Amino acid sequence: MSFSLSTLIQQIINGLSLGSVYALIAVGYSLVYSILLFSNFAHGGFLVVGGYACYFLLTQWGYNTAVSMAGALAASGLVAVLTERLAYKPIRERTPITLYLLIASMGVNIVIENIFVVTVGGRIRALPQSTFPTGVFELGGGVTVSASDILSLVVAAVFLVLLQLFLTRTRWGLAIRAAACDLRTAGLMGVNVTFLIALVFFVAGLLAAVGGIFLSVRYSLYPQLGSITTKAFIAAVIGGLGSLPGAVLGSLILGLAEMLTAGFISSQMRDLVVYSLLVLILLVRPAGFFGRPAGEKI
Amino acid sequence: MAGTGKSLLEARDLRVNYGAIAALSGFSLKLMEGEIVSVIGANGAGKSTFMNALMGMVKLAGGTILLDGCPLSTRTWKAVQGGLALVPEGRRVFAPLTVEENLRIGAFTRREADIQEDLDWVFSLFPRLKERLGQYAGTLSGGEQQMLAIARALMARPRVLLLDEPSLGLAPIVIRDIFKELRRINEQGVSILLVEQNAKQALLLSHRAYVLQTGRLLKEGNSRDLLQDPDIRAAYLGQGAGRGAA
Repeated sequence: MSFSLSTLIQQIINGLSLGSVYALIAVGYSLVYSILLFSNFAHGGFLVVGGYACYFLLTQWGYNTAVSMAGALAASGLVAVLTERLAYKPIRERTPITLYLLIASMGVNIVIENIFVVTVGGRIRALPQSTFPTGVFELGGGVTVSASDILSLVVAAVFLVLLQLFLTRTRWGLAIRAAACDLRTAGLMGVNVTFLIALVFFVAGLLAAVGGIFLSVRYSLYPQLGSITTKAFIAAVIGGLGSLPGAVLGSLILGLAEMLTAGFISSQMRDLVVYSLLVLILLVRPAGFFGRPAGEKI
Repeated sequence: MAGTGKSLLEARDLRVNYGAIAALSGFSLKLMEGEIVSVIGANGAGKSTFMNALMGMVKLAGGTILLDGCPLSTRTWKAVQGGLALVPEGRRVFAPLTVEENLRIGAFTRREADIQEDLDWVFSLFPRLKERLGQYAGTLSGGEQQMLAIARALMARPRVLLLDEPSLGLAPIVIRDIFKELRRINEQGVSILLVEQNAKQALLLSHRAYVLQTGRLLKEGNSRDLLQDPDIRAAYLGQGAGRGAA
């Protein structure tokens, strides 16, 4: 194994691209966590819904890429809202203990995964080649960057900036930030909390779908694709659960760590490095980079 | 500003249970337009529960709440739209948001066009908030946070300002300032309902008062009369064994 500058640059590009997809997913995780204080493991399910919705809109109904993506985002957002209404709201109204929500979310994830296994089958699919540009650019010195990597980086950046603008510039964005601090008191301000929670789930679902589509392009599409959100979850924890800048930073760190490990050590060591990083962070900074110290995080 | 004789907010026979424990067992109260009414009582008397019941934050086991004679929604956001705003116990400002953001979220139910005017109004009441506009609410002192919490509630342009223990955890001199401001706010047409453990301050400020004990009404009357009432003096004002201490 030898060190080469071109490998380093190559892996940094790959890492940023992968990290940006993680970021989309991790931000959704963190957004839900910041409001309801539990890790929504059904998030992976939302991502799978987005991936399949895009796939079928493209292949079965023959819509173009833009329409299919928009449809996938909406579908995933709606599934997220429905999940909250059907599985979480009844629990929220009965108990303040968020551990029940966490367990319910694991259940929902399994349900969504298996709905796809039963209805469309477990086989691995790929989005049509024509969906996204496929060119590869040569940056010199053997460093290449694929068009889909650039696209995922750009699209992720656009969505994260849009989210930031939504949260800082709009009335409902302010309400969400206030609710993240204190949900009950936000309700006292005249915010319809039920609607706010639905809105947060819709946004989280929508971002998960973008992540799902790009993961389907990068890898492939199958009902268990959602399990990849474990990585995004780890990124959110490293950044500090509930913190959006933390989620983005954690994702980029994770993406880079994975790709640099793959480039310089071995591709098989990726997960080992990722999980070691998680353990290390939890030992040194249990609240993550930007997290609020909390008695218990669920 | 004293009451005009028109009933603005009325609670009739409110009942709230926490499991098997009755926190409110049939409490009724009336607030006239322009009035300041206080509810005093010891810890655990049900004062906060009463406030939360008015705001739709706890489930009623019985009773009705009327605003202008019409039943008030049990949904918090509709109660706010109806004209109620609560300054919660412990202030509960949004610490990671700036003073300005705290005020803007207080105006959530208002139209964007009216917000500037309302900001000017609360700055006239609490000039110090204007100086601290860009500061995070969490960095304010306790007294400033209480001012912010009151100003935030006023941004909703409420007809009834509800305050849950506004004196809690504040220095006596700060309490005096805050209560002076509350009187000014009332003089500008806002009816006020406050619950307080600090009975003396509450009775000095309010026109009428209700004494709540373990979820029931113990006594009601003009605040001035209650200040002189030997039983009240003994139990809530810490002035000897009642009779003769006056």
